[in-house]
Amino acid sequence: MSGAIEDKSGDMRKRRVVITGTGALSALGRTTQDLWDGLISNRPGIRTVERLVASGICVTTGGEVEAVPHDQVDRDHEIANRAIDDALMAAKREAANCGFIWSTGLDTFQANSCHDFVHRSAGRCFSALASRFVEPKRMIAAACASGTQALGEAFRLIKSGRIDACVAGGSSVMLTPFYLIGFAGLQAVATDNGDHPSRACCPFDRRRKGFALADGAGALVLETLESARQRGTRPLAELVGFGMSQDAFDLNRPCEDGAGAELCMRRALADAGLAPQEINAVNAHATATYLGDLAEAAALRRLFGSDWKHVPVSGVKGAIGHAMAAAGALEAIVAAHTCSTGIVPPTVNLNEPDEGCELDHVIGEPRDANAQRVLSVSFGMGGQNAALILQRVTA
Amino acid sequence: MAYLVASAERRDLRAIQKSSPETWRRVRRYNLPIQLALAAAEDVVPECRDPKTAVVISLAPCQPGSADLYRWGDVVTSGMSNGTLGDLRMNPTQTLHAVDNLAMSAFAITYGNQAECLGLGGAAGQAWCGLEATLEKLDAAEVDKTGETVSAEEVLLMAGDQDAAEESAAGIGVAMLFSRNARPYAPLGRTVRMIRVERRVQPYDSTSRPHAAAGLCELLAAIKNQNQGLLSYDVPVEQTDGMGSVNIVVEIS
Repeated sequence: MSGAIEDKSGDMRKRRVVITGTGALSALGRTTQDLWDGLISNRPGIRTVERLVASGICVTTGGEVEAVPHDQVDRDHEIANRAIDDALMAAKREAANCGFIWSTGLDTFQANSCHDFVHRSAGRCFSALASRFVEPKRMIAAACASGTQALGEAFRLIKSGRIDACVAGGSSVMLTPFYLIGFAGLQAVATDNGDHPSRACCPFDRRRKGFALADGAGALVLETLESARQRGTRPLAELVGFGMSQDAFDLNRPCEDGAGAELCMRRALADAGLAPQEINAVNAHATATYLGDLAEAAALRRLFGSDWKHVPVSGVKGAIGHAMAAAGALEAIVAAHTCSTGIVPPTVNLNEPDEGCELDHVIGEPRDANAQRVLSVSFGMGGQNAALILQRVTA
Repeated sequence: MAYLVASAERRDLRAIQKSSPETWRRVRRYNLPIQLALAAAEDVVPECRDPKTAVVISLAPCQPGSADLYRWGDVVTSGMSNGTLGDLRMNPTQTLHAVDNLAMSAFAITYGNQAECLGLGGAAGQAWCGLEATLEKLDAAEVDKTGETVSAEEVLLMAGDQDAAEESAAGIGVAMLFSRNARPYAPLGRTVRMIRVERRVQPYDSTSRPHAAAGLCELLAAIKNQNQGLLSYDVPVEQTDGMGSVNIVVEIS
């Protein structure tokens, strides 16, 4: 039975939710370790994509997942499935005992090698992925905030007692001329202008000119701390708060003061019962769009007040690009590693923070900040905002 | 407790243009599923205590896109084969047709809604996840650290979809407004309490037909046909995800 939550006792609300397994396919490699090692090394994974060069469009760089051939027919399914399998294996869990909260992003539109138009439904991809899981099976559709919202919904379902374990995250296969031309029309992607391709995406930097589109998948196994301990599994981090909001401002741009973004961060803090001063680091959305970065920086400065100069901020999109529905999940994986190690990776390609983007940026090399509690945020097209708070697992 | 207090269905764009020009002005740039979902949502707003604070759960279409978007796909394909892709510029409005859940954002912008929200959908059977999430939001008794109750008072569940995106021919928009507090559901003049959503695993059934809105409309029809008492509504298999049966229990009094 589902629907009405059966147990609303205080005990249920005290359930602790931890991350026990992760899987990541990104422009930095095929594993979570590849992603973390690349970020810590300040190494960009964005590069020239030859098939984009051959197509003759104005955007030839992106975050390609090389682990799965770009012309593989079921690439959307394969990329997601590999991340999911890695996460389940790391957690030593079976899909048949887990719920599934996932975003497969937008439908894939592309031309194949025979120049036929190919349309693959994100919904059908979700259904195929979900078939081996148990209820609830929810497909999240919240644009670029989807991955973070999937994790937040899974967190709430476990915390409320509805389920004990869940695979959550997102995947996206959108690095195609179809979407690149579309996003170029919205002036959101970095077009080529003679830069080194790996420097196409520069979050918060004065040279920034938009994001690099990317493919990817991020999967996390969430379960109760009690369940993890009973199975003898060592959690990577704990999820302690989640918040959502809407800008209610404009479909194509954020409000410049970042009010909607700030609201979801404050809701996540309230959900966790924390004050802003108790956050040790931020994993920023940091798309490298002109207005987006300004709004995010403004929101973070207001959230932290006079402490903003002492809260390290880092973003991953300079290294792996914007993997859309997967972005929030990949970023949560990085945030979990920060909680576990205390280390905040640098924002790849950030050299000169722009006026208005002032924050305590981590530049050039990782910072050992002994960060135990991290705020991870995502902001979607249309003004859909989501924030998670992760922390190191304590007794 | 979750009470259904209002609902609306929209199927005809021309009727919106004719009878609700203001609504049409707001929705015309979107694709058909979003136009119909938004028009239906606007129909239930007058019953909403406060559209700024209602939790919005929005179901993205299972058939996204539009005829314009598919035509654009053909243009891109031609551009690839004849080497003219570099000259193409996409109309930003058509880019919007590809984005999954803009109905939620568009509603928020129109009504200044910054409340908690949930974007679901795109796959078969997700409408029932939306209904489950509605019950969860209204039943949750969360209290934040200041002691403030942050549970939802009202949830707006909205969905729009179309039969074939390539043609943008026919579609359905539906909106259902739920309240934590008992209020009569206008079409019946009675209270309609959503009790639970029950699920059972069953062998895969390939007759499942992905559609974000059709199943909710059929549920509403069943509720309107029930005069009083308990309604145990078995969701037709074509409205499920094909992997399990769904039963919805409703009390009308």
